[in-house]
Amino acid sequence: MNDMIIVLRSLRARLLASSMTVAMVAIAVALLLVLLSLREAASQAFRKGTGNVHLLVSADASPLVGVLNGLFYANAPANPISWKKYQEIKESFPWQWIIPTQLGDSFRGSPVMATTADFLRAFQPSSGQPFQFASGRAFEKEFEVVAGAQAAAEHRLAVGQKIVFTHGTGGSREGGHEHADHPYEVVGILQSTGSAHDRAVFTNLESSWVTHAEDRKKHGEHAEESTHAHDDHEGHDHDHDHDHHHAHVEIADLTDDDKLITGILLRLPTRTGSDASASIGPQFDRLRRDVAISVAQPAQQIGRLMALVGDIDWLFVAMAVVVLVSSAISIMLAMVASMELRRRQVAVLRVLGASAWRVFTLAITESTLIGLIGALLGTVLAFIGSAVGSAILADRIGIVIASAIDPRAAAVVIAGAVALAALAGIVPAITAYRTPVARHLKPIA
Amino acid sequence: MSGATGSSTIEAHLALGIHISGLRFAYKRGFSLSIPSLHIAAGEQVLLAGSSGSGKSTLLHLIAGLENPDAGSIQIRGTDICALHGARRDTFRGKNIGMIFQTFNLLQGFTAIENVMMALMLAGYSTSDQRSRADSALRRLNISDVNAPVENLSVGQQQRVAVARAMAGEPCIVLADEPTASLDPANAVGAINIIKDAARATGAALIVTSHDPSLREAFSRIEEISDLCKAEVQR
Repeated sequence: MNDMIIVLRSLRARLLASSMTVAMVAIAVALLLVLLSLREAASQAFRKGTGNVHLLVSADASPLVGVLNGLFYANAPANPISWKKYQEIKESFPWQWIIPTQLGDSFRGSPVMATTADFLRAFQPSSGQPFQFASGRAFEKEFEVVAGAQAAAEHRLAVGQKIVFTHGTGGSREGGHEHADHPYEVVGILQSTGSAHDRAVFTNLESSWVTHAEDRKKHGEHAEESTHAHDDHEGHDHDHDHDHHHAHVEIADLTDDDKLITGILLRLPTRTGSDASASIGPQFDRLRRDVAISVAQPAQQIGRLMALVGDIDWLFVAMAVVVLVSSAISIMLAMVASMELRRRQVAVLRVLGASAWRVFTLAITESTLIGLIGALLGTVLAFIGSAVGSAILADRIGIVIASAIDPRAAAVVIAGAVALAALAGIVPAITAYRTPVARHLKPIA
Repeated sequence: MSGATGSSTIEAHLALGIHISGLRFAYKRGFSLSIPSLHIAAGEQVLLAGSSGSGKSTLLHLIAGLENPDAGSIQIRGTDICALHGARRDTFRGKNIGMIFQTFNLLQGFTAIENVMMALMLAGYSTSDQRSRADSALRRLNISDVNAPVENLSVGQQQRVAVARAMAGEPCIVLADEPTASLDPANAVGAINIIKDAARATGAALIVTSHDPSLREAFSRIEEISDLCKAEVQR
């Protein structure tokens, strides 16, 4: 027999109330840990996703939208940039590298980025960490595709597999029909980078241009045929059952109108070992004078976004702390409510030789134990919750957030929960301490 | 009142038994108790008789150190329990005094042996000693299912567990407060005999309070609270 057995039996005697208070603490701790971990992980994921790009040019309405669309695949950019504009920007400065990108198609919901081979070679999703292949190689010719780690896992892609893209993103209004005429061959699978690029698939620009040029040509001919035939159906439903022989397009046939892109990634020359360039500011200012495009410094935009949402998520953290404090109050109330019944037990313990201080510590131990069990349970829940939260965020907003509970944060939250629970035990402990022994030994009337 | 005459006898009481002198106690609500002198020898068995509300339980609580007297001293084995404070008094009680109650006051949710072990733990026995002592104390009182939760035991068994709990630590004094009040007369005498035998086996002084006249025959020494002290009810 020892004091811990007395405390455990006391908890068992009020199993329902004890379980409820433990559950409240667990939920509060889990909520707090999940919010803290997701907050930190989201911040890291956003910062990581911008990689080593210095400037991003798009035709989106704002620089932030351009960054979210162009580097985080939030939506397919609505407005294209002409190839002429790309050439103009390319020739305007001795960039370290310049990479055109085009977004708009998807594969089973995963975004497809059409780009150049430089994207996989020069762009680093996390600064200092280039793309690496888990299997296969980079695309080298048309209709070859490289899959990001998450996309490959999600769609069970393997090197050699043939896949067909869908026009538009999964949820876009203009999308829906498949580019069934042009199956792509998976030639490489990337290793996970912990960024949004993991859920994308990559191919070269020419493939995308040819596919869309044929699309436009077919639709134009279809519309023409419809007009000539005085067909009374209105519009068309992207049904491609008709003959496609006359819609074939070669790369050589592509015109500048076909060569549309949606973004340009730029990196300025830097000194060896440095990621910064003194030219970023002047070049940014120069490019932003062009009203036809939107220019963003991705890292800066993400910093602003984080600062903006930072205040909001601290509000959520504050709410979680309030829930934690509420759970401590519930411990106190549950113990105080049961104290009238337990005063006889306290009196008997005193008669048997327990000091007032000892019954005080028994009560504190009980509340602390509730806090400890709840906090540990909450930590387990938090691990599960953050994994689920990461999956939901990846699915809904396309940001791969590798949520991990920071052991230091977990230790602080557990210690905080236990300390609060111990504090909550003070009132019932004082009640136990001050229990008039003789009065509570009398038979209950 | 039984008197201890002669200084050598008093010294013996002081050394082994209970010696009360000049004890005064008053509740705020008006009841007061005054006991000029009382001596109980080690191993002696005394029935403290009196009507309900006459102060019997109050006297036991004072002896156990559960109430603080306004004046006087209660020497137990030569230690004035009234002069002890806080944890020292509680420890002294745990080691030297066993108590039995009318409603047994066993701890619900614990087994029979755990109730006894708890008393032994608080009396300072080591964990290894607790189980063997508790087990033998219970078996001496014919409790075979020592691991049964006390709420599953019959009233008679519960009382024997309460007796075992009071005796297991071999205290020098056992105080039984109306231990037979919830029993019918036939079982009351049997219960008293169990308590007396157990106290005799450990050599503890026994003070039993009761307003039941049928118990008088079981005791050679009977103290009427009204004769023993000046109990008054002031309204």
